[in-house]
Amino acid sequence: MADCTVSFQPHNKAVTVRKGTTLLEAALKANITINNLCGGDGICGRCKMIIKKGNIPEEVSGKLTREEITRGYVLACLTQVMENLVVEIPPETLAREKIVDDEDADRFKEFGQLAQAGDEFVFSPIVKKIYLDLDSPTLDNNTADQQRVCEAVHREIGSGATQMGLKIIRNLPAILRGNNYKVTATVGFRRDIAEIMNIEPGNTAGKNYMIVIDIGTTTIVAHLVDANRIRTIAAKACFNSQGIYGSEVTSRIISAEKRGIVELQKLLISDINGLIRGLAKEDRINLKDITAVVCAGNTVMSHFLLGLPTRYIRRKPYTPTSVDPPPFRAVEVGIQINPRGLLYSLPGISGWVGSDITAGILATNIIDRDGISLLVDIGTNGEIIVGNREWLVACSASAGPALEGANVTCGIRAETGAIEKVYIKNRKIQYKTIGFVPPKGFCGSGIIDLVSVLFNMGIIDRRGRFLDGLDEGVQELNGQKVYLLVDRKKSGHGNHVFISESDIENVITAKAAIFAAMKILLARLDMSFDDVSHFYIAGAFGNHIDIESAISIGLIPNIDRNKIIFAGNTSVKGAKLAAYFQHAFNRVAQIRAKTTYYDLMGADDYVEEFRKAMFLPHTDIELFKGEKVWQKA
Amino acid sequence: MALPDIKEKWTYKINEVTIGAIEQEGGTRGKTITVGGQTTLPLLSFEGNIPNKPVVAGYIANAVPDWPDTILKGIGDEVKSPVEWAQKSVQEFKVDLLSIKLIGADPHGKNATAEECAKTVSDVLKAVDVPLIIWGCGDDEKDSLVLQACAEAAKGENCLIGSAKESNYRTIVALCMANKHKIISEAPVDINIGKQVNILLRDIGYNLNDVIMFQTTAALGYGFDYVYTISERARIAGLKGDALMALPQICDVGGEVFRVKEAVADEDALPGWGALEKRGPMWEAVCAGNYLQAGADIVIMAHPVAIKNIRQAIDKLF
Repeated sequence: MADCTVSFQPHNKAVTVRKGTTLLEAALKANITINNLCGGDGICGRCKMIIKKGNIPEEVSGKLTREEITRGYVLACLTQVMENLVVEIPPETLAREKIVDDEDADRFKEFGQLAQAGDEFVFSPIVKKIYLDLDSPTLDNNTADQQRVCEAVHREIGSGATQMGLKIIRNLPAILRGNNYKVTATVGFRRDIAEIMNIEPGNTAGKNYMIVIDIGTTTIVAHLVDANRIRTIAAKACFNSQGIYGSEVTSRIISAEKRGIVELQKLLISDINGLIRGLAKEDRINLKDITAVVCAGNTVMSHFLLGLPTRYIRRKPYTPTSVDPPPFRAVEVGIQINPRGLLYSLPGISGWVGSDITAGILATNIIDRDGISLLVDIGTNGEIIVGNREWLVACSASAGPALEGANVTCGIRAETGAIEKVYIKNRKIQYKTIGFVPPKGFCGSGIIDLVSVLFNMGIIDRRGRFLDGLDEGVQELNGQKVYLLVDRKKSGHGNHVFISESDIENVITAKAAIFAAMKILLARLDMSFDDVSHFYIAGAFGNHIDIESAISIGLIPNIDRNKIIFAGNTSVKGAKLAAYFQHAFNRVAQIRAKTTYYDLMGADDYVEEFRKAMFLPHTDIELFKGEKVWQKA
Repeated sequence: MALPDIKEKWTYKINEVTIGAIEQEGGTRGKTITVGGQTTLPLLSFEGNIPNKPVVAGYIANAVPDWPDTILKGIGDEVKSPVEWAQKSVQEFKVDLLSIKLIGADPHGKNATAEECAKTVSDVLKAVDVPLIIWGCGDDEKDSLVLQACAEAAKGENCLIGSAKESNYRTIVALCMANKHKIISEAPVDINIGKQVNILLRDIGYNLNDVIMFQTTAALGYGFDYVYTISERARIAGLKGDALMALPQICDVGGEVFRVKEAVADEDALPGWGALEKRGPMWEAVCAGNYLQAGADIVIMAHPVAIKNIRQAIDKLF
């Protein structure tokens, strides 16, 4: 088959692809990340590109307006490359890097101190550099080189067995004698075993860094931390490039079955390497001084990280390949840090409850708190954990991506130009965008706010339908009723920013799934929301949700606000704890042993509860009593 | 040892709803009908009060329903005229009130205009003095016109107007408030939507004391058990204190039964099932009787034989 060249503007990147390849795949090959949510099924209509030169086979999509078609717009996922093309990628199609504020880092600092204050948590990073100023051997003390090093290390770290790899032992005589017996040993820990993973010349103990990563289905967040003291140096986030293969884990698994795990692993590793490189470069840190990577993520993402087969996770009886893999050399999966650096994956629980959840339990420390705690991690999959010192029960509900800005016509990920807050001021609806630039769409928190505001102002009824004639913002656009928040003249991309009835329905569906799951899990434990003493809300976007908005649409229950704690990205926090405190890492084993997974698929009342929650805020409005609800004038 | 008292103790009362208005109340009815008000489940009078017995509403329509001749014959030639049908139902079948379905307005059928429908309603109101329930044809768009005209024509008569669904509740509320009628809230065999519609009605300022619930009706053998359970659950919820469910309920038995083969097919199509002229009304009566047991306060019925049977059951048991 013949090859064709596609050059992308404004990047000026050209790639050669086989005839019949889609434009989306070509863009991926050119390393251009595209704002695509449906995984190339032609559903989301985000991957718009403009054909500047060359012909393409005609493909009609209802996602393009007549005006766009005449201007040469196509959907990249539906367009096959049949000859050489020059293609322009409009700005709104390009995925932008998410802005990560340092809030998270700040919060963690406090948390680290708190944790440290706890009697059990002694600062003990999972990798440690130890400077060894060894005595030169003499006739009186001619202990072998390896034993000399091991004994010295042992003196430093105390108990436990010490291991050393063959390669390092082979190099020992030269490196010790070449450096006057002054070397630095890098020691990695797993449970009670200490592995001397590297011996470097001289004293490099001051420079030891770790990378802590939350591998989300949508977003990957990486923090660069100092291994010598509790300090988050920088944080960075990017989209998970696997997004082109679908926004939910199941579609990724299906893709992996079709294309091979390696294909998906490569995308993930390249994202991670990009983040690490970026972090190291900004803070002028040498990659070889990064000695460990600690990852948390859902089980499927953890599998992709290690290249483990995922196919049995989605098939009965839902068996993952591993939920507690040992540490490996990071280089084995292609992560570029110190070549002998270790990659730790936090242990998860099951195929549907991953290490992001164990990390969340660790970070919120709900297994060590008085009273009942509930932790809800809001994402494409809403995970819920209820428990106390004695026991933990977890469940997972498929909410769909609406609360993350997907599945909503003008929804975008949390990036510059995303409306993150909507509020009422002087009886008018106002908004705020990330980066204070003209808006391009809504991210999850903005969508929750908007639905809440529309409901509280009586512009929509409890089913999320527009009530006519009450507000001039309600308009007819392309044959559907919408609330127009930003006119195209004021937006950041020349298009209207609005929310339609079906968008609102998707939001209601998502919140209903999460609420129903919480309610059922509590009901199984013979409890209600009132029995919960600590209500933690987590999620990469959880930092920004407005609590009153979330309650007024019924995403979270109407409980004492003092009980509600925003925990932020607990996945990355938990991973960080595990990186700094070996005790914390080992505690994950305890968490695993105490946690039971409750499968909602077997709950025959789930649909009923879900139905009840498909209403603003809920059919049992008594549950939301006292909640301010608009009254018709 | 004394026997423990195992009687159920309900805490709440079902709303009492009155349909129709006599002269002093601004209407022209000879009597009004009140339903609801009970503090116990049907038949279990030892656990609470049942101040109002369930009632039978006679089914009439402004077009001849698509029922088999055998059934229509049982009712009589009067089916061709809504006014005569109304008179016969009241005088001969002894129904408590009437329920007119304006099926003639269906755009896919006779497509009677809103004015024609309003005239029919006026004529019926003149011809009989029992309270009236008015239903549209089921087409939301047409019904908004038809029911508007009929509500105006029946202004002051305190009719019960059906039905307010999720899709049209605002229109129905507006025309009922303007013309002082009561509302039937309808949900598609879903107790949650049933409650949601009531909340929506309340949200836009309609008093739930003026609402009767319609959880749709299924004929025996066609989802009957679903509706039965929903009616019963709704009633239990109401008695337990859920104000949004403490509403009387209506069942459209006649309108539903004569659409299923067991109640419309001749014996030659269903050998061994017995003559249709007996089987049809039996099916209707059995179905209605069971809904009464589930908690129905108004059953709409068509066949005189079935009506007679249910009348006896109500008098003797309920």
